[in-house]
Amino acid sequence: MANIAAKRIKREFKEVMKSEEVAGGAIKLELVNDSWTELQGEIAGPSDTPYEGGTFVLEIKVPETYPFNPPKIRFVTKIWHPNVSSVTGAICLDILKDQWAAALTLRTVLLSLQALLSAAEPNDPQDAVVAKQYKENPQLFHMTARHWTNVYAGGPASIVEFNQKVQRLLDMGVDEHDARVALSTYDWELERATEQLFS
Amino acid sequence: MGFEIKRFQGDVDEELICPICSGVLEDPLQAPACEHAFCRVCITEWISRQPTCPVDRQAVTACQLRPVPRILRNLLSRLCTSCDNSPHGCNAVLKLDSLASHLVECEFNPKRPMPCEAGCGLVIPKDELAEHNCVRELRALITSQQGKLTDYQQELAEQRLVINEHKRELALLKEFMRAMRVSNPTMRALADQMERDEVVRWAGSLARARVTRWGGMISTPDDVLQVMMIKRSLSESGCPPHIIDDLMENCHERRWPPGLSSLETRQNNRRLYEKYVCKRVPGKQAVLVLQCDNTHVDEHMMVEPGLVMIFAHGIE
Repeated sequence: MANIAAKRIKREFKEVMKSEEVAGGAIKLELVNDSWTELQGEIAGPSDTPYEGGTFVLEIKVPETYPFNPPKIRFVTKIWHPNVSSVTGAICLDILKDQWAAALTLRTVLLSLQALLSAAEPNDPQDAVVAKQYKENPQLFHMTARHWTNVYAGGPASIVEFNQKVQRLLDMGVDEHDARVALSTYDWELERATEQLFS
Repeated sequence: MGFEIKRFQGDVDEELICPICSGVLEDPLQAPACEHAFCRVCITEWISRQPTCPVDRQAVTACQLRPVPRILRNLLSRLCTSCDNSPHGCNAVLKLDSLASHLVECEFNPKRPMPCEAGCGLVIPKDELAEHNCVRELRALITSQQGKLTDYQQELAEQRLVINEHKRELALLKEFMRAMRVSNPTMRALADQMERDEVVRWAGSLARARVTRWGGMISTPDDVLQVMMIKRSLSESGCPPHIIDDLMENCHERRWPPGLSSLETRQNNRRLYEKYVCKRVPGKQAVLVLQCDNTHVDEHMMVEPGLVMIFAHGIE
């Protein structure tokens, strides 16, 4: 790994460790290997959002050319958010793409991602299905996001109605995640979800 | 790229850190409007990818970058750092501005050039000294020199060919000029000039001679024996053909100038001999006193195109 990248990551790792956000439990950072090329981040779902109470794990890959190119980050924890792919976890955030600046650090990036959870950008979506729901049926979006937070990120709010619908599909032999995706996509209408799953 | 922050004694102020490499600023430059400072190497690399300030994304181009203010440079130069060679045992602690001069002479530099003491005389980096093998190194050197030698020889042969070609052309041109000089006064002047230049060039190629015994001068040499030998030697030394016959004539006192023409005048003018600029006739006990070398000598001691003096001995 290029000297400059390793040097920066080491320093940034320390910066995150010393930060008040880590002390407050808002963010976390861990090394995955010894070469400083791969890290694992964690952000806490911000309060007053459907993600509150959840912990979201991120995969962080540091390119050879860091900090001249941004780190590659995706959500490992499944999340229902207009700017994050519900399938791959890919993130649509300008600072991770063309708005990257060399002075940004892992800490600022993690905080930006946390901010993205508070303020979605439905007009610049990564996941069109989620963005459509966010715009057309905010109430349902909110509940779906909370449900996903509960199931995948350890959030507190269990939504009985949704769980029952997923269970119905499970009983039909459908994979649990597939069932949840189908139901979320079709605004929790069991019939349409079933139709899509078995078509 | 900046200096590793761990190398510095005490805390380094955040303002002296490059936001790109997170090291201590090295040869820093700043953006014009926002005045954010970066290492020259870091910011140049960044701007080649994206023409913005890496901190606040204001538009910046490479030519807008400015040196940082003196105060910042001073603060940097006062920082105390360990030597680059501290892993190799150097314990020096230096002000940042004297680091460069220290590195040049740091004894712990593993790449410091050292002369081999085993006899080959090569200068090699210190860390390669242990692995160093004089024979192998010299052998490699010989191989490379031989390669060069072959190249040069080939080039030389080619150049010779070209020179011969030029000589032939030149000879043709001279012939041409000689043929023309009769009818054209400009051509005559040119040809005369060329002939004079030729003599000067030839004179310049001959070694200086010193006459230790002017008394050994043979003023009436034997035409066949002595003069023909001199002629051959002159011709081999590159004497221009148009003066060689005149020079041969001037071997004998009958053609010598008034100041030399008899034993009596020669004895009177003996002190003037030391003024002559003499040139060696290669391999012979004889000197050339050419007119072009001796413009400072009185007229009664000189003739065109010059004198040839043959001696019994005493030429150095």
